[in-house]
Amino acid sequence: MTERHDSIILHFVSRVFMVPFILVFGIYVLIHGEASPGGGFQAGAIVASGIVLGRLTLGSDHSENRFPISLLIWLSSLGVGIYVVAGVIPMLFGGNYLDYNELPVLWFNNVAEHARTARAMGIFIVEIGVFIAVLSTLVILYDYLTLRVQDDD
Amino acid sequence: MKWVTLAFLMALVGLFAYVSADLPDRADSSAPANESHLTSEFIERTEEQIEIPNIVSAILADFRSYDTLGETFVIFTAGLAVLLVFQRGYGRNDD
Repeated sequence: MTERHDSIILHFVSRVFMVPFILVFGIYVLIHGEASPGGGFQAGAIVASGIVLGRLTLGSDHSENRFPISLLIWLSSLGVGIYVVAGVIPMLFGGNYLDYNELPVLWFNNVAEHARTARAMGIFIVEIGVFIAVLSTLVILYDYLTLRVQDDD
Repeated sequence: MKWVTLAFLMALVGLFAYVSADLPDRADSSAPANESHLTSEFIERTEEQIEIPNIVSAILADFRSYDTLGETFVIFTAGLAVLLVFQRGYGRNDD
């Protein structure tokens, strides 16, 4: 629970420039993780920092409307679930655990008209899972560590 | 006490500066880390089997994906632990 800061400069800069830029940059780092330095962990940390910046400037009450804690708990479980399921699906098609070669994703090449190996796509799926898990876990950490405990008296 | 800390840190700086003279150069192909037989193997297999330019991503998420799965679980568990410990005060004003 962080207080809202009533400064128009702070609100303008953070809402118009900082937070959108950080979010877009985080998505960029995620998508470009195969071609340049980056990946799920880094992108998750960057996007989480954007959300935490929103909570710091606008106050937790306002920012939690977009990313409530209940949603974040679901998201962090979903991220780990994506990773685990991406490992289990190849086992159903005759491969080993986390053997992306057996992932049934090659049809996507026909849709996107861009030849990529199944393993490259498996890497991307896994990175998305890591991204969601890291992003929501970091915001959960921030939310709970800044919780204001209500006094009984 | 401040001066003890300063002297300790300066000694560390001197040690690191002395040791760093022996470090291999960047992109030195004869560095110990690059002489492992795994290095050429990873470079070749990334190009042949995965076909993405970033070898680090290939190692992290494909060749060593069990390790990354464990890392994700570590982060997830940290989030769960914080949630369980700090959830007590949450919503106590409802009592």
